[in-house]
Amino acid sequence: PSLPDGWSAEKDFKPIDHLSAPISRAIEPVGPHFLAHARRKRHKRTFSEDERI
Amino acid sequence: MSAEQGSPEPTQDQPERVAIGISFGNSNSSIAYTTAIEGKAEVIANEEGDRQIPSTLSYVNGEEFSGTQAKAQIVRNPRDTITSFRDFLGKTFEQIDPSPCHASAHPVSVNGGAGFVVQDHTEVKQPEKSTLSVSEVTTRHLRRLKQSATDYLGKNVTAAVVTVPSDFSDEQKTALSASAQKAGIEVLQFIPEPIAALLAHDAKAQIAAEGGPASEHQDKIVLVADFGGTRSDVAVVASRGGMYTTLATSHDYRLGGSSLDKVLVEYAAKEFLKKHKTAKDPRETERSLSKLTLDAESVKKALSIGGSASFSVESLIDGLDFNLTVNRTRYELLSNKIFMAFTRLVESAVQKADLDILDIDTILLSGGTSHTPKIASNLQSHFPESTIIISPSTSSSAINPSELSARGAAIQASLISEFEKEQIEESTEAVVTVTPHLHNAIGLVVAGGAAGKEEFSVLVEPETPVPVRRTAQLTVKDGGDVIIKLAEGGRSIVVSAAEKATTNGAADSDDEDDDSDDEPEENRSKVWATQKVIAEAGLRGVKKGGKIEVQVNVAADLSLTMVCREVGGKGGVRGVVQAARVELNGNAA
Repeated sequence: PSLPDGWSAEKDFKPIDHLSAPISRAIEPVGPHFLAHARRKRHKRTFSEDERI
Repeated sequence: MSAEQGSPEPTQDQPERVAIGISFGNSNSSIAYTTAIEGKAEVIANEEGDRQIPSTLSYVNGEEFSGTQAKAQIVRNPRDTITSFRDFLGKTFEQIDPSPCHASAHPVSVNGGAGFVVQDHTEVKQPEKSTLSVSEVTTRHLRRLKQSATDYLGKNVTAAVVTVPSDFSDEQKTALSASAQKAGIEVLQFIPEPIAALLAHDAKAQIAAEGGPASEHQDKIVLVADFGGTRSDVAVVASRGGMYTTLATSHDYRLGGSSLDKVLVEYAAKEFLKKHKTAKDPRETERSLSKLTLDAESVKKALSIGGSASFSVESLIDGLDFNLTVNRTRYELLSNKIFMAFTRLVESAVQKADLDILDIDTILLSGGTSHTPKIASNLQSHFPESTIIISPSTSSSAINPSELSARGAAIQASLISEFEKEQIEESTEAVVTVTPHLHNAIGLVVAGGAAGKEEFSVLVEPETPVPVRRTAQLTVKDGGDVIIKLAEGGRSIVVSAAEKATTNGAADSDDEDDDSDDEPEENRSKVWATQKVIAEAGLRGVKKGGKIEVQVNVAADLSLTMVCREVGGKGGVRGVVQAARVELNGNAA
């Protein structure tokens, strides 16, 4: 959709609302993607930090 | 998990840990390993050539038989043959259901738990029987499996990942762990059977898609139906970026392949009595019933592959031989009620997960009974066409359902066998439980649909664990300045009556009517609707027909980063939406 007239925001980005509260669930500790997730979590890394290594 | 038992096995030499995958069932067990070079999971056949090894132990003249050989002893030696003991582990005698053991050794109470009394030693002169606890029986069985794997691999197997039902309690796991330890197997991890099956399936799909750009994991809701011998378990799993979250499970402890065997036994017995008017009912003596049951099982297996199969039992009863051919159509008619029960069990799991059958993207059939073509075709007709059913009869790339969970366990074993024990435990405990999952879908509000109405297009599916990152591209037809709206969306099921609504006089049939009237040709479809807009971003001067890439990053604290840029262009817009503060939620959990 095209930008409505007169729309403006700081740096062209306008946060409006927050994400809804999440549900806590347990991931199954299985599979390569989980192990990668666990490794990130243990070392408190983000995706991009993880990729750099 | 379990305290070190101080076992004599040399599990200390850390470098040489040989790990396999074990699927340990009430009826059958399987062992699997992953090949060193290709990393493919393979199921190991034991020395009898069986890949599905019956979980049966039998004692004849003091000698121990296992697997198929032991199973054959149910006929001649029922009281010294032990079957169906997996579910007795870690339970009190009052909690167990002894009915699957009716034809073999009956469970007795041993120190509050279950056990069996069998003649397992050679001292013929002193016919004193031994009382074995169920953990001892399990140890002996696992020792056999370990031996078969060791012989095959030529290396002493010391560790394993073992699959268990999704509702296995901690006591049961502890008991199984202790029994395995005594058999010289270090249990690295217990994984739920449905998840193991899914892992094996995804690993295969991954290899198949290798090279192509689509090797990235799809986000999908998978229903894993594990139809076993004496019980059936269903799990609804959200598969998100290759990570699995179980949304709901349902179980039936009486439904399984043995229910189908019973149908065949009934049918065969009636036919036998028709032919031999004066003969005794073969269901009334234990030995002839056992013969018939064993044969019924192989007839059933043959009917999963071919159009017809025949019973042939020598000297069934009163010295009379028995021959009978059954075709698949008749078998399916006779078993119809039981087949419907499988469908109902699957349906109940979908309801428990608060989902609609339209939400199920894939159904993965696992367990021996899943070879039955009719079960798959029933599910295919019950679920929408978009649902993919993975079973040998509906998908050419399906893995043998009997092997799925053992393979999954083998894959997991190869992934974690290098890890230290503490490392595994650390990863499986704290980390898992504390992951928040998105309640709603996150997506973009896009123009599209009829009459240029705005639509919601899903970027991140609901039930996705955070942190998560997803990227999408959209094409801007006209170019110019565009607004990108990021929003949360919800899914609803829209029911629209199809053309043929003529039979009912009432034209204004509401939802209530639809439910009472069973099948009034209705079209149900899944519709996404925007619930609230999270952020807007403006992108100026996009080329005509240019592409915009939108990346959404949700962090573990639920703050969201959005990056939009034109493909090939420079600059772009980047913005952060902070997470809602705890006060706003009301509940600090």
